[in-house]
Amino acid sequence: MISYLQAAILGLLQGFAEPFPISSLGHGVLLPRILGWDIHQDDPFFLSFLVATHLATALVLVGFFWSDWKRIVGGLLRSLREREIRADDADARLGWLLVAGTIPVGLIGLLAEKPLRAAFASPETAAIFLTLNGVMLLGAERLRKRVTFDTEVGSDERLARLGWGKAAVIGTSQAIGLLPGFSRSGATMSSGLLAGLSNEDSARFAFLLATPIIGAAALLKVPDLLGPDGDGVRGPALVGAICAAGTTYIAVKFLLRFFETNRLTPFGIYCIVVGVGLSAAFALGL
Amino acid sequence: MNRLLPILSLLAGGVLIVIAVIYAVEPAASLPAFFPGHVSATDPEAAHHHIKHAIAAFALGLAAFAYAWFATGPAGRSGAARSQPS
Repeated sequence: MISYLQAAILGLLQGFAEPFPISSLGHGVLLPRILGWDIHQDDPFFLSFLVATHLATALVLVGFFWSDWKRIVGGLLRSLREREIRADDADARLGWLLVAGTIPVGLIGLLAEKPLRAAFASPETAAIFLTLNGVMLLGAERLRKRVTFDTEVGSDERLARLGWGKAAVIGTSQAIGLLPGFSRSGATMSSGLLAGLSNEDSARFAFLLATPIIGAAALLKVPDLLGPDGDGVRGPALVGAICAAGTTYIAVKFLLRFFETNRLTPFGIYCIVVGVGLSAAFALGL
Repeated sequence: MNRLLPILSLLAGGVLIVIAVIYAVEPAASLPAFFPGHVSATDPEAAHHHIKHAIAAFALGLAAFAYAWFATGPAGRSGAARSQPS
């Protein structure tokens, strides 16, 4: 089972690592191994616990971007009413771009999440994937398109100019986050940079894309938390969820400001250093 | 643009919604044999309902309907008229 202290630590970690491009799932696999906890990703009680922390993360993301979501949903409904996605309606266009980016990864997640988790949820694999995640982040910064960003308009207007194909590719890239060690938000931000977005815009698009996927995945598994698998876990899960909510809010607020002037580079270096270090430690039997 | 794609989208949307309903209401053993997820009646998963498959098919069906809805709207029709050879 999971103690209240473990729940609080894992909740703080989940809320912090989910928006950061460093793989919350990977850290969730690695931390119990580092601390010697008898907790594994496939334990039914741990999966029930994760439902609560992910739901908390999704709720915080919805709350954080509440006014944006109201505009986006309003734009979606307006376009459905008019049977047209007008080029000058940034809210409607951004909404449908988010839909285009969410459907492919939603399908992949629904059909492949379980086998992927069963195949790759070991600390050794997570450490290797964390290293590769760092390479991905640094590679995206190196290969990013050098374009001049239009600062005359807001972030949503710039995002709304993305093509359908690019939005679908950016959204689909989230699927790599199903592998523990690869970051969903890192993949979205990286592909956003390659598609010509700025760090700030790609981070914003990543958070908007993450909300429905994390929320839907958590809602789908709520019955696990409320069912027999959740017996004895609901108390720690509540503590973990509260901790995750707090750190998610702080992390998103920090990252949106950070990416106004900074890049993915420090996160890439962190992932490579930690990934290589842990891979070496595991190989030496430490 | 001709009207073939919207018509195909409508048909595909309808079929996908029906598939979603079948996945939602039928246990794995009662699914048609060509459906992914079908198992024999003696399989331990025979009573399992493939809700995730149902959600996936439903989402794709809605996407197909949405495409048809916009493609046959004012902008889609004017686009079709513009693309007609004179």
